[in-house]
Amino acid sequence: MTPLFQQLVLGLLIGGLYGLAAAGLSLVFGVLKVLNVAHGQLIMLGGYGAFWLFALRGLDPFASLAVVIPAALVAGGVLYWTLFGWVVRAPEETRVKNSLLIGFGLALALEAAAVRLWTADERSVTTGYAGAVLTVAGLAVPVVRLASLALALALCGGLHLVLARWRWGRAIRATAEDWEAALMTGIDVRRAYLLAFALGTALAGAAGTLVSVGYSISPSIGLEWTLKALIVVVLAGLGSMLGTFVGGLVLGLAEAVSATVFGGPYREVVGLVVFFVVLVARPRGLFVR
Amino acid sequence: MLEVRGVEAAYGPFLALSGVTLTARPGEIVALLGPNGAGKTTLIRCITGLLRPRAGGIRWEDAPLDRVPAHAIVERGIAVVPEGRRLFGAMTVEENLELGAFVPRARPQRAARLEHVYTIFPMLRERRRQITRALSGGQQQMVAIGRALMAGPKLLLLDEPSLGLAPRLVESIFDVLREINRSGVSILLVEQNVQAALTLSHRAYLLEAGRVAGEGSAAALLDDPRVRRAYLGPLAR
Amino acid sequence: MTGRRSRALGLATAAALATVPLVVRRDDVLNFLFLVLLSVTLAESWNIVAGYAGQVNLGHAAFFGLGALTTRALWIAGAPVLGAMVAGAAVAVGFALLIGAAAFRLRGAYFAIGTLALGEILRITVGNVRAEISTLPAATIAGYRLAHRYYLALALAAAAVAVVAALGGSRLGLGMRAIREDEEAAEASGVGALRLKLLALALSTALAGLAGGLFAYYHISYYPAHPFSPTWTFDALLITFIGGVGTVHGPVLGAVFYVFLKEYLAIRWVDFHLLIFGLLFVAIVLLLPGGLVEAAARLGALARARVLTAIRK
Ligand SMILES: Nc1ncnc2c1ncn2[C@@H]1O[C@H](COP(=O)(O)OP(=O)(O)OP(=O)(O)O)[C@@H](O)[C@H]1O
Ligand SMILES: [Mg+2]
Repeated sequence: MTPLFQQLVLGLLIGGLYGLAAAGLSLVFGVLKVLNVAHGQLIMLGGYGAFWLFALRGLDPFASLAVVIPAALVAGGVLYWTLFGWVVRAPEETRVKNSLLIGFGLALALEAAAVRLWTADERSVTTGYAGAVLTVAGLAVPVVRLASLALALALCGGLHLVLARWRWGRAIRATAEDWEAALMTGIDVRRAYLLAFALGTALAGAAGTLVSVGYSISPSIGLEWTLKALIVVVLAGLGSMLGTFVGGLVLGLAEAVSATVFGGPYREVVGLVVFFVVLVARPRGLFVR
Repeated sequence: MLEVRGVEAAYGPFLALSGVTLTARPGEIVALLGPNGAGKTTLIRCITGLLRPRAGGIRWEDAPLDRVPAHAIVERGIAVVPEGRRLFGAMTVEENLELGAFVPRARPQRAARLEHVYTIFPMLRERRRQITRALSGGQQQMVAIGRALMAGPKLLLLDEPSLGLAPRLVESIFDVLREINRSGVSILLVEQNVQAALTLSHRAYLLEAGRVAGEGSAAALLDDPRVRRAYLGPLAR
Repeated sequence: MTGRRSRALGLATAAALATVPLVVRRDDVLNFLFLVLLSVTLAESWNIVAGYAGQVNLGHAAFFGLGALTTRALWIAGAPVLGAMVAGAAVAVGFALLIGAAAFRLRGAYFAIGTLALGEILRITVGNVRAEISTLPAATIAGYRLAHRYYLALALAAAAVAVVAALGGSRLGLGMRAIREDEEAAEASGVGALRLKLLALALSTALAGLAGGLFAYYHISYYPAHPFSPTWTFDALLITFIGGVGTVHGPVLGAVFYVFLKEYLAIRWVDFHLLIFGLLFVAIVLLLPGGLVEAAARLGALARARVLTAIRK
């Protein structure tokens, strides 16, 4: 069995990706009040984007972020126009429920499409440097995963800056807080919704790319990643991207501890149990400010 | 000039406004008075495009306003201090103010306007980096007025700006409104503090159960015994 | 449809289905019908809690799975299968009541994601504890009669439809729908929301547990975690929504349509049905919230109007 400290290192490394995965979901949920349960499937597609670019064009997966992120932005815009933009007209409670159903249908369709395009096999992008390992104080740190963690942090930080500094970033935050007040200050909230959804999708694409390098992807990973992202959102609350990132790290570490204590197969269960308990303990306080 | 003509507005089956007509001319302060539930806020929501009138029309500067999307109203030069202030509580004072100048027409002058708001409310300059939620009610009202001013409006709508404030603060807020009006901004002021509102304004409308029950110059209404009985009764000094 | 007419139609359908094994000797037909009937049961059971009481339970597979797990264990240990199934249903209901009070603190979408997590917790745990495939003993396989499974499935599906139909006209069902429309208002007008929701969940999970038992009785071998898979929940959800959520006939119609297309498409293109159903489902949520039942009703009304105008001329 892997010793605890090694587990913790690996947990921290994947925790960064949990944080990134959650950041996109949190942004969309916080701003549109739309729960996109197909978020994990968007991550999956991002991973296949990177995989394709690598397999067909030999593009380095980290470099492929420069393609995947803009493509995901556009895809997010299209999804908003065709699907989720219809839901935001409804009052909030119906909105969350309908978005859940739509996201669910979308998830099924995307997963089935991925199976047709890439088969159900597990894949990962194996670069020349995939096996490189740093050894720090006797602990093995896979270089690719370390780089992914750093990139995940950079992306969450970047999103934080965008929301804090950019004119429309502020408009997005204002819309998240009070969309009627945003309208009254002259913000086109539909546009803020569109931008937030596109940004959230772009983050999902980026997360998927990083997953495909350090870990592996298959058409069926969507649900698992949606759940991870949901767990982090529930743990970290809405509103702060850096808080969400830290929440991801915490989940990674918690999984590592539980894998050591209860055994590897129970790695997932602990996070889910915590998720359920926190959710029930704060059934309303969680998502409202 | 704002012209509201025969506006009807409803929440579901409930008719909140049944044929309201009023005008606000350039440079005027117009008070809109009435008891709770009269429909004052509903009228403000109609003017700001948050609620579509069921009948009637709203015109602004000789163009219809009631088909303009809500977010484009500010661009036309109408800003609002909404009921309950509706600030962005998790953002700083300065972010709130800057959002007031979000629309294109306000962007070029936003540094100058920010300076102007800080001159009117020096307190806000000290607290510009604070989270708005942490401010007192009076300070929040200043932020709300400042945010509306940042748009550089020609018409300023205020929905009960005195609500929940200490009398001294109300006085100073009303002084500020007078100053704003002197600089050429028309004001439509919704108030329950009838005495203060009539002292400040030029003209006033009385709204009751969704209809205009009376109108006239502020001075005449202040002297009208019926108004004194209905609105100023026990509070009249 | 009027109550009496639809009851007569239901009885006639059940009677016709009952004669099938006597007339048709082909296993593939029976297997297909079995799948339809199992789907009807599962979808109707989900429909009670989601369609009538408005609680989108995304952990429904957990109760199906618990029913399967319990039934299989008891049955293989020598208990009569019907008794084992009742025990399976009891376990499912017991678990439902155990977690229900906590889960129903959650509203709307939070209830949905909370129950999704619960379902996953059970699936992963069962997969870890009972990792080996479960296969029937050779003697049982030798005595396997498909017709027995078929009749059990028919009885169960008929019972599920009857339960939902009875619920639809009852005070209980009325209260549940009040909760679905506006829980606070229902509570204010004296409907005990939590009690009714728990009741809906108990009814729903009892049927799901029985359906799980039927699954355990039907399959010769499967991984014990398989009936816990969220795809069972998703099937129930798709069928119910496509057919018409919160109606008696919707899940029946949906199940026929779904299983037919699923089986038909699966022959040609693996998983292709999910692409179609995913998109169809989105379209129904957005454009036709009443599902096939509503579409049929509208078409019917249109046709009647046509006929009437034709007669008048
Ligand atoms: N969202 C709503 N849905 C249903 N009815 C509403 C809604 N908002 C207001 N009303 C009703 O419309 C009527 C007018 O309300 P409005 O808020 O315009 O009154 P008001 O004059 O602003 O009162 P106040 O002085 O209390 O602010 C009231 O009877 C109120 O109950
Ligand atoms: Mg009001």
